Amino acid sequence: MTDFTRRDAFKISAGGLAAVSGMVAMPSILRAASYPTRPINVIVPFATGGYNDRLSRAFMPYLEKELGQPLVIVNKPGAGTQLGNSYALNQPADGYSIMCTSAAPYIPLTVLLQNAPYKVEDFSMLNLPSRDYTLAATSSDGPVKTFAEVIEKLKKDPSSLSIGVQPASADYANMVLAFQAAEIDPSKLRIVTYDGGGPARNATAGAQVDVGFVGGEGFLPLKTKIRPLAIFAAETVEWYPDAPLIGASGLKTDFVEGSQRGWAITTKLRNEQPEIYKTLVTAVEKASKNPKAIETLKLQELATTWYGPEASDKAYLDNAAKMAKYVNLLK
Amino acid sequence: MIDISAFHEALGILFSSISAWGWIVPGLIIGLVFAAIPGISITMAMAIVLPMSLYMDFFPAMVFLTSVYTGAGFGGSVPAILMNIPGTPSSFATTFDGYAMSQKGEHNEALGYALFASTLCGIFGYVLLLLVLEPLADIVLRIGPVEMFAVAIWGMMLLGSLGSTYISRGLLAAALGILLGTVGMNTAGFTRGTLGVPELLDGIAPIPAMIGLLAASQLLSLAGRDYIIEAEGAREVSLRRILKGCWGTLKYPGVLLRGSIIGVVIGAVPGVGSSISNLISYAETKRTAKDSATFGKGNPKGVIAAESAVASGEGGSMATMLALGIPGGGATAILIAAFMMHNVVPGPSFIDTQKPMAYAIILNNMVQAVVLLVVGIGFIYAATNVMKVRTRYVLPAILVVATLGTYAVTGEAAGPITLFVFAMLGFALNRYEYPVPAVVVGILLGRMLETEFLRSYQLSAGNPLYVLERPGAMAIFAVMFISLAMTAWGKRKQNKAEAAEAALLRLRHDADAHAHTTPSKG
Repeated sequence: MTDFTRRDAFKISAGGLAAVSGMVAMPSILRAASYPTRPINVIVPFATGGYNDRLSRAFMPYLEKELGQPLVIVNKPGAGTQLGNSYALNQPADGYSIMCTSAAPYIPLTVLLQNAPYKVEDFSMLNLPSRDYTLAATSSDGPVKTFAEVIEKLKKDPSSLSIGVQPASADYANMVLAFQAAEIDPSKLRIVTYDGGGPARNATAGAQVDVGFVGGEGFLPLKTKIRPLAIFAAETVEWYPDAPLIGASGLKTDFVEGSQRGWAITTKLRNEQPEIYKTLVTAVEKASKNPKAIETLKLQELATTWYGPEASDKAYLDNAAKMAKYVNLLK
Repeated sequence: MIDISAFHEALGILFSSISAWGWIVPGLIIGLVFAAIPGISITMAMAIVLPMSLYMDFFPAMVFLTSVYTGAGFGGSVPAILMNIPGTPSSFATTFDGYAMSQKGEHNEALGYALFASTLCGIFGYVLLLLVLEPLADIVLRIGPVEMFAVAIWGMMLLGSLGSTYISRGLLAAALGILLGTVGMNTAGFTRGTLGVPELLDGIAPIPAMIGLLAASQLLSLAGRDYIIEAEGAREVSLRRILKGCWGTLKYPGVLLRGSIIGVVIGAVPGVGSSISNLISYAETKRTAKDSATFGKGNPKGVIAAESAVASGEGGSMATMLALGIPGGGATAILIAAFMMHNVVPGPSFIDTQKPMAYAIILNNMVQAVVLLVVGIGFIYAATNVMKVRTRYVLPAILVVATLGTYAVTGEAAGPITLFVFAMLGFALNRYEYPVPAVVVGILLGRMLETEFLRSYQLSAGNPLYVLERPGAMAIFAVMFISLAMTAWGKRKQNKAEAAEAALLRLRHDADAHAHTTPSKG
């Protein structure tokens, strides 16, 4: 065994290198045939404990079962998802990085307001089960009872009620659109800005502000502390049936849908690896329709509805187009 | 008030799930170790273990996570006392007197004071929580931007107690800190000072910045010594002296009580946390103390004040979480996620339907505080041995661990880069005798000051009389001014007394001199 020379070692390692580079150079279709062969990263561009983090962790076992490989949650919070989105785009398009995120309105907003170095079309949706809507609400013991009353009061005196809202959000756009439709001058309103849905909800429930415009889903745990005035949706919302629709207030206003959360990949992956894309779509569909998954996630107030990639992509791009249309309201 | 039958049921849950108790010790140790590593905060320590708790049942998972919380609350004060480097922002105020004590060779006692204050006030916070769970939660929601602004101002008053050779440099350093604290996107959506770096949109990460500022200057000043404490005899690790410190805590019930109340209230307010309450508690204790001149020079009351606010804050923060389902801070946000992952939604309906479970969690936390005493003594006994290692081995190790700590949790280079930049800044500030702690206070409070002031302005449409509609804010401001006035009054009286005494002494001296000189004359 001692006649194992340095030259031999060189030969062997060179051979190894050749084999490895051969593997790398292999047509990607062939590699896809056995996909997935190793754990898949799920990029969540939010901190541990947020909606997307909980959604990914709760859904994980069911998706793992369909894919046959473990999933690893990678939290990349910061800059309104821009850091996580950039990170996802920098990963190789090999199917080992997928995203669980509030695609709309965060991706369009980073593009429109933060000059993020990517396009809305760089991301493709697999399925966006969670659909949130802006809810106008007041504290449960507040004096205002209906949205019509809010409009009436503000028309008389735009500074009579204070408004809590998150700037540069779908909620902000909806608020401005509604007041424009009611011919109230938004520049005279007492608008209090909150850097997140949570603080804005607390301020609403605690009567710090008279009316809050915030994503409705997050209000569910505080349901007893608030009175819903109007929800910015076209049809009755499944998870909050007692919230009156904005249409019922007699106000004719256009509105933007709120957060759309769920599973996404990069468009590069979809275009370059159609087989892997198909595998992922099938896996998410099967897992979303798994009765056990539906039951478990429902208990945690998480959504599993299967809309599919086409409908999800359409909803996402529609939201992005509306955001672009109303971007001037947000600045 | 307390619901007796639910309380009985809670005891039932507590004693029927003895196996869950097994998670207390591992949880405490994880919390202690992570928080003692500079660069890993309480929130991060909990975020790291959150996925683990997914595989446990609900109650054991809660026991485990809250144990990490309890342990982490104290862990940060160990490096704060031994090395003047706070493990977490919550133990920043502990460095002021804790490190001074350890330089005098009283590190055993200082750690004992800190540990026992943590234990006692941790229990106190939870007892208060048990009694006023629901009313407290309702009060918390009523706290608005004006009240929060008042609290932030109160925190800034700590600057007065930091002491620096030059007042102008102290104010300049604080202003720099506040400016740094407002980098990023503000609450109204305007972006300032990010230099086009997307990582800065959320502001400068306070933990690596704080570690950079404090650790760099501290490590450089230690580098010239062989050991952290020069005197060889002082480097001993003594269980007896740790216990002596523990026992000594009981001599200051007033400090403990004030710290606890400040801690519970501020801990309960969403968005503020123990990283601010420890500053306020320290500043208040120092201002009201008769021996305020000895603060910062190793007064045990300073250590107790800071630690009591941190430990009791846990109870306050849990009150908001259990009763309202909203997080008081980062750590309770993680706890809420853990609740949800076990299909339990905290909030008003949780309290209505599962009161025994809520009580059981609270009671278990009191048990944890007691266990912390034992585990904590073991931990500080082991940690204090760092005093016996030469600085040439300790310092590089700390630097590496701190850098890793700021990197490991997010896996982004932004943490270590911030650490490095602020280390340079800290070195420069030290070199030109600007007080580094003032910059840290500014960074910790700057964002809150700006956000709450802006919201108050928006809410009042710029009318300063709005404050008259907020009795809470007026009360906070009133207490603040009264306490300031009393201090000023006390100081004046003290000065007068000292002047009188000095005059008396001089008189006597003169008389003596006279007496001595007369005979010679005669």
